[in-house]
Amino acid sequence: MQMRRFLTLIGLAALGLASAQPQTLTLYSGRGQSLVDPLVKQFQAETGIRVQVRYGTDAQILAALLEEGSRSPADVFWANTAGALGQAASKGLLRPLGDTLLRQPQAFVPASKAWVPVTVRLRVLAYNPQKLKPEELPASILDLPRFAQEKGLVGRVGWTPTYSSFQDMVAGMIALYGEGRTREWLSAMKALNPKSYASNPAMLDAIRAGEIDLGSTNHYYVVRFRRAGYNLGLHYFKDGDPGNLALVTGAGILKTSKNLVAANRFLTYLLSPKGQQYFAGTVGEYPLVKGVVADAHLLPLEEALGKSPKLDFEKLPLDQALRLLRELGIL
Amino acid sequence: MTSARRLPQLPGLLPFLVPALLTGGGVALPLLYLLLRALEADPQTLRDILLRPKNLELVRNTLSLLLGVLAGTTLLALPLAFLTTRTDLKGKRLFSILLTLPLAIPGYVGAYVILSATGPGGILPLPRLEGYWGALLILSLITYPYLFLGLRAAFLGLDPSQEEAARTLGMGPWRAFLRAAFPQLLPALLSGYLVVGLHVLGDFGTVSLLRYETFSYAIYLQYSAAFDRVYAAWLALFLLLFTGGLLLLEGALLRHLSLARTGKGSGKRAKPVRLGRFTPWAYLLLLLPVLLALVLPLYALFHLASRFPQENLEGLWEALSHSAMAAIPASLLAVGMALPVAYLAVRYPSPASRFLERLAYLGYAIPPLAFALAWIFFSLKSLPFLYSTLPLLVLVLAFHFLAEGLGPVRGALYQVPRRLEEAARTLGDTPTRAFFRVTFPLLWRGAVAGGALAFIGAVKELPLTLLLAPMGYSTLSTRVFSYTQVAMFAEAAPFALAIALLSAAFVGVLLWSERRF
Repeated sequence: MQMRRFLTLIGLAALGLASAQPQTLTLYSGRGQSLVDPLVKQFQAETGIRVQVRYGTDAQILAALLEEGSRSPADVFWANTAGALGQAASKGLLRPLGDTLLRQPQAFVPASKAWVPVTVRLRVLAYNPQKLKPEELPASILDLPRFAQEKGLVGRVGWTPTYSSFQDMVAGMIALYGEGRTREWLSAMKALNPKSYASNPAMLDAIRAGEIDLGSTNHYYVVRFRRAGYNLGLHYFKDGDPGNLALVTGAGILKTSKNLVAANRFLTYLLSPKGQQYFAGTVGEYPLVKGVVADAHLLPLEEALGKSPKLDFEKLPLDQALRLLRELGIL
Repeated sequence: MTSARRLPQLPGLLPFLVPALLTGGGVALPLLYLLLRALEADPQTLRDILLRPKNLELVRNTLSLLLGVLAGTTLLALPLAFLTTRTDLKGKRLFSILLTLPLAIPGYVGAYVILSATGPGGILPLPRLEGYWGALLILSLITYPYLFLGLRAAFLGLDPSQEEAARTLGMGPWRAFLRAAFPQLLPALLSGYLVVGLHVLGDFGTVSLLRYETFSYAIYLQYSAAFDRVYAAWLALFLLLFTGGLLLLEGALLRHLSLARTGKGSGKRAKPVRLGRFTPWAYLLLLLPVLLALVLPLYALFHLASRFPQENLEGLWEALSHSAMAAIPASLLAVGMALPVAYLAVRYPSPASRFLERLAYLGYAIPPLAFALAWIFFSLKSLPFLYSTLPLLVLVLAFHFLAEGLGPVRGALYQVPRRLEEAARTLGDTPTRAFFRVTFPLLWRGAVAGGALAFIGAVKELPLTLLLAPMGYSTLSTRVFSYTQVAMFAEAAPFALAIALLSAAFVGVLLWSERRF
């Protein structure tokens, strides 16, 4: 009993402190700590606004936000996938943003206007350049199974079925070609006896270690491996192919936010030249705002944006993709 | 007289009964919820789930790994136990200790060492081992000590006269051993198999890092990546069926055996076997597991840690304190629950108290991922304020590691003369008071050993922590796992080293408390 009273007091004291400092921003991040932390530190140093970050996967954070409901302390949701932001928007968790923010990105601004795209990543094919030549690689990811059969790569192909970007790519394939053709492709991939990896770096490390020869991944993972001095090949399929699907990251402000000014400043910071330069340089993702010095490892932005098929990224049929992956025993 | 004293008096026993029943409930209730949750699905979904082709693949994978590891551990433990008990080798005691140490290496650290050290660019010039064979190797290397310890005790208790009798009947030494000695080793072999089997079924770290999909790994994937909780619940039930089958099988075989066994030991010791020219080979065999399971991982970890970016030390402190904040209360709670359960079992033996003790052991036998899932459903439904909080993690770790604390506490209880307690009782103390005044001061060493076991278990523990820790609460073990999953081997090294060094320190505590009993 006394304990409870004591705890209540502590809680009240904490509340008092919190309300005395309106300049504390609470960020829920589906993006990794190693990427977010340096940027948040920079933001704090420049603005004097304190930022508390809660890390998790997009799915975890979405579940937490729904559970917390109106009691949520979160101001900003910064997510890895457009799908998670789209869900948050359709569930009415996000507050519509002003045009000042939405005007800045060159592409991918959602119809809901509830979040702003911050960077974009592309699906690519990573391969071992000692084993395969770039000119012989297929022009579409749909031809990958046939190519691998011809080259005798059965058992030497990797994939990451549990990773959200892979699932997004399957959803993109369904959106473009329908479930039937996607099912055929997945079955043909399964016939290659592919090795499943829990993460992209683990798969690329397997290419490095000679365990497998190729696998579909996100472009910046290859960039990071190359920067670390490993020679990995990076192949884009033809323009508009789902094998180059764009993966949009973005951020939105929650309706529960009590710190609108600080939250807006944070989003503005993500789209500022400094923030965008950080993503292009350190992280190796594609910026969406003009005026960033291009990285040697990346394509020019215009060219990169032309690689991906044009789809409604907020509404990719992810549930359908998951069902299909389960039905085929891949998940 | 004694029967009157044996009768448990409820008011005095109550302080023991309550925690004991709580313990039972903490293990049994969540499982009930798991079942409820699994049965919630509509018939169509249920049919889909039960008929998934994936299930067969998982059964096949899980069984072949189980049988493979049992074979692997036998090949290691049997000769090692023989060499350290029945031969004329020097340094048998030292080797026995060294050969037990691989227990301190968690599976995910072993897997991590294989991944980071092999293949082109690794520090070992070996091809990359992964999948089934990698998991088989690692799991065999870290679980054989369970079998080794049991077999060692069995070899020491062997009655050599039977073997000698067989020799006089004209059998060669090998046949005599197989026909006369081997049957006497079977009980130790079986109980060792049970522990190893439970480890294989429950293992998540090794199989997930080496990409071999067993039931445990599939549960994690369904729960964390594909948002299919009902399927995850069913997989957990399948896994529990496996575990239950293993427990029943072992019990049945053991009963069958103990009927066929003759009395143990005649006080006569077997003459040590002279190894002669085989001596160097024997030493090599003794050194092999020590090299593979201890020296190599530690070398690889130090090598990797030397490439570690200094600025991440902050994260190391955070993870260390997070681990401590979960493991210290969990181990205290585990011992706190082990005391009443052990006390009731030792002082008031009855079907009820035996049942409670079984339940406590069950918490350990339940594959951790199934247990974690059960607790998630249970807490969401009936204790929502606990869901995804540190207290819940502490509680579930305590329930799981209760069994580790039970052994030493029981051992110590048996050594406390009952008469002391009875003397206190005749002076008018209640059982509880008598226990705290007389028994507990003599028990504390056992409690320390039990607590140390539970503590280190909780620090190394991965699957429960991964599923139950509050969002963003990373411990040493989850850090090693998440870095390794994304192939950041150098970053994972200090965290893995911290776990290895803590384990080593705890082995010290354990050896110290064993010697003083």
